[in-house]
Amino acid sequence: MLFFRSEDLVAAWCRANRLPQRPLVTLSQLWDLATAWYANRLSPEAKRPSPAEMREIFAGIGLSGPFWDPEASPESIS
Amino acid sequence: MDFPTRVKLAIYEHFAATGARPEAAEIARSLGESGESIDGIREAYRELAGKRVLVLEEDGESIRMAPPWSGIPTQHRVLSGGVSHYANCAWDALGIPAALHAPATVDSRCEQSLEPLRIEVTPVGPVPVPCIVHFAVPAARWWENIVDT
Repeated sequence: MLFFRSEDLVAAWCRANRLPQRPLVTLSQLWDLATAWYANRLSPEAKRPSPAEMREIFAGIGLSGPFWDPEASPESIS
Repeated sequence: MDFPTRVKLAIYEHFAATGARPEAAEIARSLGESGESIDGIREAYRELAGKRVLVLEEDGESIRMAPPWSGIPTQHRVLSGGVSHYANCAWDALGIPAALHAPATVDSRCEQSLEPLRIEVTPVGPVPVPCIVHFAVPAARWWENIVDT
């Protein structure tokens, strides 16, 4: 997961590395992910989200579909 | 609290306080364990790695990742409370202030232009700057090579 200054620079990086362009996430969405994943990381109760919890977190900030599904089959992710 | 959880908390408390990865012997000392129990610490490391809480180097005891912290310097540096931390990726760069519940300055870069990118993070989130994050790897494949994800 890498930072870029603009969508055009993402596209240039993908072309240069011969990689498909994948979903883009805003700084605000990234903060929501960071707090959902890590806000309790220093507490004894902290645990990794289950696949269902991951899907719920992603969907809650508008990220859905096979790309964001930790249990997606390889065929569903081109 | 079981022993691996005590080890996990000691690891994370060390990262939070110093920004650096602890040695297994430091974790043993912080838990008040004797030298003989270093093997127990290593076993806890392996168990935590199996649960994807830690990523270890090939030696089996050097911590490469304790997300959001990186055990080695990266392009994502996070300064908070006078302590310098390193994050594994863009997500983790915001994950460190989220875990610390403290303001921070993230110093990273645009991966294409290599222009420096600074993000100020307040207790309620990052101050907006021109920036976007690209996720190159689908979630189902993150752990095929988590270090490069």
